[in-house]
Amino acid sequence: MSATLSAGSLAPPFLLRTPGGDEVGIARPVGSPAVLLFFFKHDCPTCDFVAPLVGRLAQALAGAGLRSVAVSQSDSRSSLAFKEKHALEIPLALDEELSVSEAYSFDAVPCLVLISSEGRVLRTFQGFGRADFLALAAEAARSCGAKVPSLERPGERWPENRPGCASRLHDPTVAERRSVRQGAALLKARRVPVPVADDPFEFFFALGIDDGLPVVPPTEARVVRMLAGTTRSPEEVVALVPPNLAPATVEKIAINAVMAGCRPEYLRIVIAALQAACTDEFNLHGVLATTYFPTPVIVVNGPIRREVGINCAGNVFGQGFRANATIGRAVQLVVRNVGGGKPGEVDMATLGQPGKFSCCIGENEEESPWEPLHVERGFQRVQNTVTLFAGEAPRAILDQTSRSARSLATSMALCLESVAHPKFHGYGEVLLVVCPEHCRTLAADGWSKTDLRRRIQEATSRPLGQCLPDAECAEGIPIQALPPDLMGPDGRPRPEVLNLPVPKFRRNEDILIVVAGGRAGKFSAVLGGWVGGKMGSVAVTREIVD
Amino acid sequence: MPDSDLVILDPTAERSPLRRRLSDRESSLRGPIGLVDIAKARGDVFLDELERLLRVRAPSEAIVRLRKPTFTKPAPPNLREEIAQRCRLVIQALAD
Repeated sequence: MSATLSAGSLAPPFLLRTPGGDEVGIARPVGSPAVLLFFFKHDCPTCDFVAPLVGRLAQALAGAGLRSVAVSQSDSRSSLAFKEKHALEIPLALDEELSVSEAYSFDAVPCLVLISSEGRVLRTFQGFGRADFLALAAEAARSCGAKVPSLERPGERWPENRPGCASRLHDPTVAERRSVRQGAALLKARRVPVPVADDPFEFFFALGIDDGLPVVPPTEARVVRMLAGTTRSPEEVVALVPPNLAPATVEKIAINAVMAGCRPEYLRIVIAALQAACTDEFNLHGVLATTYFPTPVIVVNGPIRREVGINCAGNVFGQGFRANATIGRAVQLVVRNVGGGKPGEVDMATLGQPGKFSCCIGENEEESPWEPLHVERGFQRVQNTVTLFAGEAPRAILDQTSRSARSLATSMALCLESVAHPKFHGYGEVLLVVCPEHCRTLAADGWSKTDLRRRIQEATSRPLGQCLPDAECAEGIPIQALPPDLMGPDGRPRPEVLNLPVPKFRRNEDILIVVAGGRAGKFSAVLGGWVGGKMGSVAVTREIVD
Repeated sequence: MPDSDLVILDPTAERSPLRRRLSDRESSLRGPIGLVDIAKARGDVFLDELERLLRVRAPSEAIVRLRKPTFTKPAPPNLREEIAQRCRLVIQALAD
């Protein structure tokens, strides 16, 4: 039994309503020699047994000043029916919200509580015990200065003991509803009623809070459940989201995560992704506003992939996996709804790409012989991380014939050269996604990621002269982007530097490598990056914390 | 606002009220065209003239005349429903 109900403890005062709407309760002092509370559920058989006995006790001692109140955990109609069935002539208080039951914190009904004139618990028991009931009746009589009433009728045989039923507080759906109500009281977001005449899904489209696909209505219950996915406070500001630099609180992220279709256990991944995306280095504003293709590509590493079911294998960039689909989508919805970034407004993408709905993959660490991405970037293998990369849509790297690592790496290099434009050498970051079959070919020859990068740079190296704009093709490395020490007095590159080999990527480390995809198929992929460096976006890794 | 069972939490930064998006304004007169009299005095005269001009300028378009019961209250739900069902464009006569 809880501390509330032990003899001597103060009985919590309360005020409830009868079915008729009148107030009923107890204050402190109670204003009578004693008070008897009878907590019950209408569908509890032991409550059915005890109710007439309570009625007799109440009637016997009413003249001596005993106040009795029947407190029901059931709905109004059922409670009234119970009272009438047993012809209970004592006031009936409705505790359907269970606030008083919670204050008295008993585990079972019926629960009888005898309270002294000062408002202290004299005696209490749950279920039915013959000895308990008689002792309580005797104490009630003593408190009222009356003779102990005889309550057992001739021929009646009371059981010695009879168990009660669980208090409704222990009903799992009730517990959940109460926790939702308590949680909802902490939420600060504006409430928006959906008009009765409206189809809720059409209404959300009309509000413009969607990404073109229907969203899950973010009700209080759903948002409270979503917030259980993190230990952070709902008020905590996770990031300032471009373009409007509006604060994304944990609560706002949770609302958008509900809309995206996330499960609560995905929330901390969404939070980490937004933390990474809203850094200066990632430059989400630029990524959003550009006419180019990039989307925040989210690569997840660590044990969390298995825990929440992030797909790392077959069809990793495709449909069918809730975690992948909804985590990326939640980030996009936060950018739209909190940050205010929308197509046709700040989002000026010429063509865009499907990854702007959602692009979230897990690295297939289990199929990889190499260090996973996050370990390369300074984390422990057991840590959970997200790496955000501003990437275009995946493009195929086909090589079904190479048997050697060198040959395969050369194929990859030839494919990578066409990222953005074949003549764009000295490029920024790129994400190379190596499939398991290709991985095996590389690893069989003992090649590491470093070896792969080196061969890509080697095989993509072209004389500078071939990378510059010319009469045949006006595109290429802009002359003004060349280092001054390569330039001649005429403002053009000196003739001897035109033979300088220029690899595709500015630095070997700009080639980010992850292993992902299914076991069958000799097809890898490249996701070209956007502008790199200070003016553009660089990949950012953040740890996922609860 | 009408009573509702479903209440959602605002997902935006709440810098402006969450409202239904307005439909894009039409660039051409394609009907049926609803002419809604808000029941202010002589609103019908104004709409009669508008109807006459529309029948000249867009003779093949259907015109639907509708009227609010009073200008002092918002259009009742059944009138709004009728506008939504029967009309593609709506012109309301608003001023005195």
